[in-house]
Amino acid sequence: MSVRVGLDLGSTAIKAVFVKEERLIWQGLVATAPGQEALAEHLIAKGLAESGLDKGDLQNPAVTGYGKGLYAKPGKVIDEISANALGCFTLSGGLARTVINIGGQDVKAICLDDQGRVSDFIMNDKCAAGTGRFFELAARLLDTPLEDFGRLSRQAAGALELNSTCVVFAESEIVSAMARGAGREELIRALHFSVARRVAGLAGRRLAGGGVFLDGGPAQNEGLLEALQEELMIDVQVLPQPQYTVAYGAAVSL
Amino acid sequence: MNRPDSVNLRRDRLKKRLREKYRAECEQELAALESRADYRPELGSFIALFRDGFSPKTVEERVGRRVVNLSCLQAPVELFHALNLHPYKVFGGSAVAGRMAAPSLPALVCPMIRAMLGALELENEAEAARPWVLPCTCDWMAKLGELDGLCGGQMTGPVHRPQLPRLKESPASRKRWLEEILALRAFLEHIAGRALTRRGLQKALLIMQEARRAFTRLILLRRAGRVPHIWFVLISNAFFLDRPENWTLAVNQALPGFTQAAGAPLVHLLGSPVFFPDFKLPRLLESAGLAVSGDDFCSSERIFPRNVAVADPSESGLLTALAESYHQGCLCPVFADSDRRAHPIVEGAEQGAAGGVISVVLKGCHPCDLESYSLEQSIRKAGLKFLRLETDHGPEDSQNLATRLEAFRHTLEAA
Repeated sequence: MSVRVGLDLGSTAIKAVFVKEERLIWQGLVATAPGQEALAEHLIAKGLAESGLDKGDLQNPAVTGYGKGLYAKPGKVIDEISANALGCFTLSGGLARTVINIGGQDVKAICLDDQGRVSDFIMNDKCAAGTGRFFELAARLLDTPLEDFGRLSRQAAGALELNSTCVVFAESEIVSAMARGAGREELIRALHFSVARRVAGLAGRRLAGGGVFLDGGPAQNEGLLEALQEELMIDVQVLPQPQYTVAYGAAVSL
Repeated sequence: MNRPDSVNLRRDRLKKRLREKYRAECEQELAALESRADYRPELGSFIALFRDGFSPKTVEERVGRRVVNLSCLQAPVELFHALNLHPYKVFGGSAVAGRMAAPSLPALVCPMIRAMLGALELENEAEAARPWVLPCTCDWMAKLGELDGLCGGQMTGPVHRPQLPRLKESPASRKRWLEEILALRAFLEHIAGRALTRRGLQKALLIMQEARRAFTRLILLRRAGRVPHIWFVLISNAFFLDRPENWTLAVNQALPGFTQAAGAPLVHLLGSPVFFPDFKLPRLLESAGLAVSGDDFCSSERIFPRNVAVADPSESGLLTALAESYHQGCLCPVFADSDRRAHPIVEGAEQGAAGGVISVVLKGCHPCDLESYSLEQSIRKAGLKFLRLETDHGPEDSQNLATRLEAFRHTLEAA
């Protein structure tokens, strides 16, 4: 029972990690769908197969995320803000003082104390503007995989401005811009800045001194990182595999 | 309001459908209260006030007096009681009732106003025209009559609109408010068909003084972390559903049972009012492991203004004292600037040993939204943690709110 397990049952993906001491030894994810507990169990089973561990090596998982209440017998339940803080703090070697997390349906800015505990935070209210959902919609409209957004954004020749981060209104704005002949690269770059403005508006009021880190799935998008740095006017760092930070934080909270 | 037949037909069908859902929503909340581990028979009397019916008509039958609907607490209830009238504070907290009014209202209307107007339409039992007192406090209250017109016009009786001076400190505003009190008196005398007497007013003042005294005891127990927030909200909400003497008796009977300290991090709340059946936030606070030791809601701790200090026992002196009490004692964000409001909020939090303050704004409640930003500065300056939440009566954001409340508890524990 030397391996700690963290499960992040998020709104768009379920993430699982195995952690030995403080080292991330396996991670995996599956898209969120009905039957989240079964999906999480399958994910853990997959992790066991891939890592060569036995079930007996694993501790009962620490569970976090929107679906945390759906897991019947967790070893621990932790809210995703605290898990995020702890995960990012530990993985950054204690450097993180502000974490900006862009999740499937929320945006958070978390301030940490020098022990990695949450000292303050801010999170969007009942609106998914500027979150992972927004990027999913854009990827569908532009018929472009999300993985290509960062690269394409850098190829943008001209500046274009999109005003809406609302998943409903952005659709018509994107479609109108396409109809006017806007290029895909320009549109993607404009999307990044549109989201970055929204995130900076929220997070800009909660920046602690020290290292600022971006995590969550969209943090893998270099174009978004660039736009966010530009809008926040500070350096923002991204850890390797930033989509697993919250699950990792849950695991190390055990 | 004249509508095409097809629109009326749809509204009638919608009303029928939503009325059942509204009743089910209310009953579900009441049953949940009864099934709590800390339920006691003394608390059952408050539940019964809702279960037995809380429409103006039902309350009128219960209290045996003519009911005058009241949209905001800024009108002195003592005047109503002195004239043998019963003030009924119209309220709204139902997401289902809000759906009844929503098609006729602006999208970003205050959820409480939407629910209130929806509930009025759902509860309309072809009753006789009822008088209304609509203090023009926030913009939504000032426009309530017009908004009601958009929702089919349930306000068919005579309406009186006290105009409140927003600046309190000047002698002119005191004079003007006193004039409004006298105008309200004239309106209520007309409704009651009798003149106000000094004796009647004195008696009403005493009744309300007793109610305030019982409520103060309850608040003190709450400061000690002994009164679960959900019961405090229920008890406060029930005030207008019965004669004040009966409510006072029920509160005094319930008081000795609040013996258990919460043993959870304590918070102080401020923001938009919370009304039955919207107990989403009280439940989420409990689930997140937080207890409430005080609040600034006009639906709970602020239901009574400060004591009426009578220096001159003449009728005119009583009326002046009453006017002063409601005008100077009102700490509604519409009439009190944030500097003036910050002090009692911080003081209340400190008295209740709260580590943090949570501002809960109903989306569309502009005064509470506006002030939350300036209050945040004062609250943080006092060394208290601060969390701002924006919500409505619907359950969809429960998980989002729960996440923040749980994290807020951790920040309190870490402090």
